[in-house]
Amino acid sequence: MGGIAMIDEQAETKLILTRLAPLFTAQWHCQYRIDVVNNPYGAAINFFLDIRRTHHRERSIPLHTVATQDLEVLERVVWGIRQETALTLNFVNFGHVRWPISQRWIR
Amino acid sequence: MDYSQEPHGLFFMIDNKSFYASVESVERGLNPLESVIVVMSEADNTGSGLVLAASPMAKKLFGISNVSRQYEVPRDPRILVVPPRMNLYIRKNLLINRIFRDYVADADLFPYSIDESILDMTKSWRLFGETPEAVARQIQVRIRHELGLYTTVGIGENPTQAKLALDLQAKHDHELIGRLTYADFPEHIWPITDLTKVWSIGHRTAAHLNRLGIHSMGDLAHVNPYALQQEMGVIGGQLFALAWGIDRSQLTQIRPAKEKSWSNSQVLPRDYHQQRAIELVLREIAQQVIARMRHHHQQTACVSLSVGFAWDGKADDGRSGLHHTRRIEPTDNAQTIIRELVTLFREHWSGQAVRNLAVGLSRLSASGHVQLDLFQNPQRQLKDDRFDRLIDDLRDRFGKTAVIPASSLLPGGTMLSRAALVGGHNGGNSYD
Repeated sequence: MGGIAMIDEQAETKLILTRLAPLFTAQWHCQYRIDVVNNPYGAAINFFLDIRRTHHRERSIPLHTVATQDLEVLERVVWGIRQETALTLNFVNFGHVRWPISQRWIR
Repeated sequence: MDYSQEPHGLFFMIDNKSFYASVESVERGLNPLESVIVVMSEADNTGSGLVLAASPMAKKLFGISNVSRQYEVPRDPRILVVPPRMNLYIRKNLLINRIFRDYVADADLFPYSIDESILDMTKSWRLFGETPEAVARQIQVRIRHELGLYTTVGIGENPTQAKLALDLQAKHDHELIGRLTYADFPEHIWPITDLTKVWSIGHRTAAHLNRLGIHSMGDLAHVNPYALQQEMGVIGGQLFALAWGIDRSQLTQIRPAKEKSWSNSQVLPRDYHQQRAIELVLREIAQQVIARMRHHHQQTACVSLSVGFAWDGKADDGRSGLHHTRRIEPTDNAQTIIRELVTLFREHWSGQAVRNLAVGLSRLSASGHVQLDLFQNPQRQLKDDRFDRLIDDLRDRFGKTAVIPASSLLPGGTMLSRAALVGGHNGGNSYD
């Protein structure tokens, strides 16, 4: 991206949820989790769906990359996702910091 | 051996350790050297799935190698399987090459593959460090720091030495740096007995050399080069030079191809038995090749068709496929070319199951005009030409799938499902 690109948080949330829908098939003996990764090398936040099934290999499917490291933007995107799905969100590489809006710990 | 007349430059051959798997590790916040990650393509024609890359730990712990099949990978929850994103890897490769440009002039940088580049450091290395190794280290650290990726560097006095240093030494060195000079060959290269380990020697060439009584690189260095050339042709001379670390190529002198041609091939997702389905894919591939040729304002005077049979479909005489070529009047008209190809196919195909199709167009010339055929309606010919050009324009402006033949919707057509692939594999999500 580069520059000051305005990020439409609702569109980002929607894109993630539409990609998630066909992948989350709610199988038995299967753990689903959304990984939210802070990638300092790409200056972006990556979203993955992680699927663990007993006696199977773990799978990780890319959902989307949000081209920002602005936590306020991310907080709104994540809030949007939490409205629509109860899947666990796993935050990677964020360190010990709080969300800028709600002031809760990121975890 | 007198090396004084040979080129003495300084070349770096730099590659990325398990490139695709490393990129995917970094994207997930994992260390590329510690993660157990496998990039698996599940495109239609890879069967159950094909391993495009495995991280160093996946190779070490589970013995997974690239191009393993899905069923060869153990079902172990410690292994993380991810789909490929070819567009992402291309972007990362461009970023890496941008870093290389800080160390060499543009003219001295030669990207060799998606994860390998040759850098001619002859003129510039002294600007960056005391020794070539120190400069290599500096480049490695920068790429690790800026992109999170580990790189391996082979250093040599010519490109071939750099490549051998990379493959045979750097990959096993804990600093990930290897270096070869002319003088090192007797000690480091000649003892090698598994010839296929050496760049440019495949298992067929190795078998041929073994038959000639050559079982190590040392043997190869001590044969009579003229006898070897007599036996193996030009390659014989090249192999002899390889054993001595000699490479006289000048990378800046681009050798123009003797004759350019356009071609495209496809592995089909399953065995095709029906003539109609095979011809459908044949048409689709032909369309694609013709579009590329027309894009360069060229016309063809020679079409070629290759058909690879499925394993069980081998002809009675044991052939594994067929290849035929036909001269035609120079044309860039899609209908004419496709008609020739289909005729060729019908003439030579006798019902075998097909798994592989390739189309080639050669004997190219510039097309700036329409050559009217005396025996056909001129209005019709002009109209066909305009029609082709309109389709080209539409596809240029709105993408490959903007207009497609309705036949591509029939079962067996592969065009639509392949349109989003990059190099035959998943390009990754759009809008990323």
